[in-house]
Amino acid sequence: MARKISMKQAINEALDLEMTRDPSVIVMGEDIVGGTGSPGEDDAWGGVLGVTKGLHAKHGNRLMDTPLSESAYIGAAIGAATCGLRPVAELMFIDFMGVCFDQIFNQAAKFRYMFGGKAETPVVIRAMVGAGFRAAAQHSQMLTPIFTHIPGVKVVCPSNAYDAKGLLIQSIRDNDPVIFCEHKNLYGLECDVPAESYAIPFGEANVLRDGGDVTIVSYGLTVHRAMEAAEALAKDKVEAEVIDLRTLSPIDWDTVIDSVERTGRLVVVDEAHPRCSIASDVAAFVGQNAFGALKAGVQMVTAPHVPVPFSPVLEDLYIPNAAAIADAARRTLAPTGTSPRSIAA
Amino acid sequence: MTENPFPLDRDDLLKAYRIMRTIREFEERLHIDFAKGDIPGFVHLYAGEEASAAGIMMHLKDNDRIASTHRGHGHCIAKGVDVHEMMAEIYGRSTGACRGKGGSMHIADLSKGMMGANGILGAGAPLACGAALAAKVRGDGGVGISFVGDGASNQGMFLESLNLAAVWNLPAIFVVENNGYAESTARDWAVAVDSYIDRASGFGLPGVTVDGTDFFAVYEAAGEIIRRAREGGGPALLECNMVRFYGHFEGDAQTYRAKGEVEAIRASRDCIKIFAERVIEAGVISRAELEAIDKEVLDLIEDAVRAAKSAPLPAPAELLTDVYVAY
Amino acid sequence: MAPVVGIIANPVSARDIRRVVANAASLQITDRANIVLRVLAALRACGVTDVLMMPEKGGIRGHVERGVVRARAHGDTPYPAIHLVDMPVTGTVADTHRAAAAMRQAGVAAIVVLGGDGTHRAVVAHCGSIPIAGISTGTNNAFPEHREPTITGLATGLAVTGKVPAPVAFAANKRIDVCVNGGELREIALVDVALVTERYIGARALYRTENFRELFVTFADPEVIGMSAIAGLLEPVARDESGGLMVRLATPEQRQAGTCGTILHAPIAPGMITPVGVTDWRRMPAGVPFVPEIKAGSIALDGEREVSFSARDRVSLTLRDDAFRTVNVGGCMRFAAQNRLLAGAPAPLPATA
Repeated sequence: MARKISMKQAINEALDLEMTRDPSVIVMGEDIVGGTGSPGEDDAWGGVLGVTKGLHAKHGNRLMDTPLSESAYIGAAIGAATCGLRPVAELMFIDFMGVCFDQIFNQAAKFRYMFGGKAETPVVIRAMVGAGFRAAAQHSQMLTPIFTHIPGVKVVCPSNAYDAKGLLIQSIRDNDPVIFCEHKNLYGLECDVPAESYAIPFGEANVLRDGGDVTIVSYGLTVHRAMEAAEALAKDKVEAEVIDLRTLSPIDWDTVIDSVERTGRLVVVDEAHPRCSIASDVAAFVGQNAFGALKAGVQMVTAPHVPVPFSPVLEDLYIPNAAAIADAARRTLAPTGTSPRSIAA
Repeated sequence: MTENPFPLDRDDLLKAYRIMRTIREFEERLHIDFAKGDIPGFVHLYAGEEASAAGIMMHLKDNDRIASTHRGHGHCIAKGVDVHEMMAEIYGRSTGACRGKGGSMHIADLSKGMMGANGILGAGAPLACGAALAAKVRGDGGVGISFVGDGASNQGMFLESLNLAAVWNLPAIFVVENNGYAESTARDWAVAVDSYIDRASGFGLPGVTVDGTDFFAVYEAAGEIIRRAREGGGPALLECNMVRFYGHFEGDAQTYRAKGEVEAIRASRDCIKIFAERVIEAGVISRAELEAIDKEVLDLIEDAVRAAKSAPLPAPAELLTDVYVAY
Repeated sequence: MAPVVGIIANPVSARDIRRVVANAASLQITDRANIVLRVLAALRACGVTDVLMMPEKGGIRGHVERGVVRARAHGDTPYPAIHLVDMPVTGTVADTHRAAAAMRQAGVAAIVVLGGDGTHRAVVAHCGSIPIAGISTGTNNAFPEHREPTITGLATGLAVTGKVPAPVAFAANKRIDVCVNGGELREIALVDVALVTERYIGARALYRTENFRELFVTFADPEVIGMSAIAGLLEPVARDESGGLMVRLATPEQRQAGTCGTILHAPIAPGMITPVGVTDWRRMPAGVPFVPEIKAGSIALDGEREVSFSARDRVSLTLRDDAFRTVNVGGCMRFAAQNRLLAGAPAPLPATA
């Protein structure tokens, strides 16, 4: 039975279902219960934005507050995963990866390969990503490309409540380390979500809108901006196909290539910075594998190569918006548009 | 029959000796073969420190887990990792413990509770906390032991782990193997709080310092610490003061060491000699018995080297496997 | 020439297994360094201008130097000049031995010792007739009295500068000499020698009472902890009377059979009050060699297993009166009070007084 719930509730529900199903699932993080050892209410926060609220009452000590000590507890989650648990560790903001990155990229990501295929590290690291929260440069980044770069971890970034629930359940059941990126500006967004448990497989992009004129590829929050741009383009009789990648590692190249082969035009939208981003990755892949299908140069719409600013007026300029995406699409369609070959020259 | 005055029975004394002798021969052999150019990459030898690995690991079962260091061969052998597989791994062969993909710095055998040697100094401490957490959640009485050198004890990961272990009251044990050198830098210079026990106290953990060249001192202290952790008494720190017979890595000219230092410690602080003299003097084990083990160990290492050298190299297709369980 | 005082501060006392098997304290390096600074201030206040310190790599020296530099930056000179014994640092008990011998050679007037019973024993083995002033930073401290180190420093300063006359300032102490195989090995104990069945030195500390067999103490004090407490709870023997006490302890079989005379609940380590079966005890006169009954085991000196021996070894123990000297802190301070030694120039009285 589906009902409308927010992405925040969907994530909470996924954790609840998996903890109920599998006793080896434990959840840890800073303030994920909230108030441990403090004189006031138990489960005071349930996560800094309340995502895990209520789970402690149901699952008790399998939810653990941690000291503010990311290296130690992210590492402990990874270590426990190699010993048979399925820990879900919340790294509150992905920006905090800087203080625990070794445990993720030198430890979790490499165990299986370094140990000749003998290790399994079924850990999920949940983290908030993205700008628009007026949280400035150290709490707003979209660092998905950094993790996507690293073999051995999987990277997931849902754009809605339905996907969040199914992808988180899959992440917990998955036997590899997963970085599960939650856009904080999507937490309140509601959609139809079944009450029962379901898993969405990794590496399957979601085509949100069919169209034959231009392909717009994105993930996370900017999927919604891409949809707005597609609506605007439709008024001009331009039908855009909008693809939500959902998982960045693995990534669904087939869906992207199939679409580009039909439309011949590609816009990639990424909230990350432009260099070595998901956008540049998709652009390069399409350039290498579907060059003959392209009728125009690939357009990238990304955040600029600057840190996330604080002042709302600047931050709003920072985030890729629908108008910029629509403009990029129109550039691929412009009759005077440069051919891919001339760009290369 | 002479009464055995030691806290281990004869079989265990022989086992401890065999472990230490195997580590020593393994490392001495690597030292020679590395110099000949037979072995690729970085190799860090544990020779001289055997009493620490043996004294601690004699208390452990397979469900007790250890996170090791870059100097991990001794921990591997003492934890029961197969010597042939280790040697093959160091030679980069497909029959290696990690099928040639890890090498000296990443030997692991999770089935034996060996969570891996580790090329990142201090990184094992959070992982051992995780192992201790898993043991605690399951209630299986296991412990997680992190080995760290005196140098890596300055890492944030290590210090954070002391705190986490104390806050969660984990059955975690932190072993500081203090050989006096952080790579080439003197411990006395690089560690601001000169006592690891003070560091432990700073996080509310009891700490014990022992002579790490004395197997019995390590064995006794480790036994009490491990028992305490199994009983729910929480984490503790054990500092083993020990000596490093070789350089930080093979090929290190060790010009930073005092003249005659290595000769002196080999003469007076060789943990295997000290052990052998004690058990022989007590009349519990004969020199002939130890020599028989020496011979078996020599044969084992010789066979391991021979097997490693003739083992197949990894197939080219191996480059791309074992990244994910499924992708 | 003003008298020089030696300072031997052991950076590694109180680090043994009793922190795990009992709940013994662990004094941090900074605490030890602060004790040294307190002693230095007290010595300076009494007119001592130079001290000779044992170098160590445990971190005490560095902290002390910071304290001195900081005081100098304030324009104060509250501390004597610190000189270090010129010697290599090994981080073992050999450092203490070497430093004590060097201080004796240098003719220091007294040595202030920071450590436990073991550290004090190591100093006494090499300091000859130089008086020592003990400060407890160890685990089982029966020998050094528990007291604020500033007072120990003051007493030492008053004693070495001659402000307190020697007969008051210094006290005689007993020790037990341990001789193995007619002198092949000689050791001493300041408080106690325990013979235990464990034949390995291991982690050194004594805590398994079922293995205790014989006990010889220089003084038996019910107010201290460790082996001396067992004797002290049977028949107190003071530090300043001749001779000591010897105690024979029950085997587990004797305890089981109920054939041991007395079960004592003795504080053998911090927080460890353990039943100990006693079969008998008697006075141990000075100057008479005793041969223990147990044929093989370990000899623990002042609470730590040090020597293992077998049936082939001949062990004898002899208690010596007047074996070494200590600063009589209580005596010095009482003398100082009676004779207004620490009184300065009379201050003007307030008008309302």
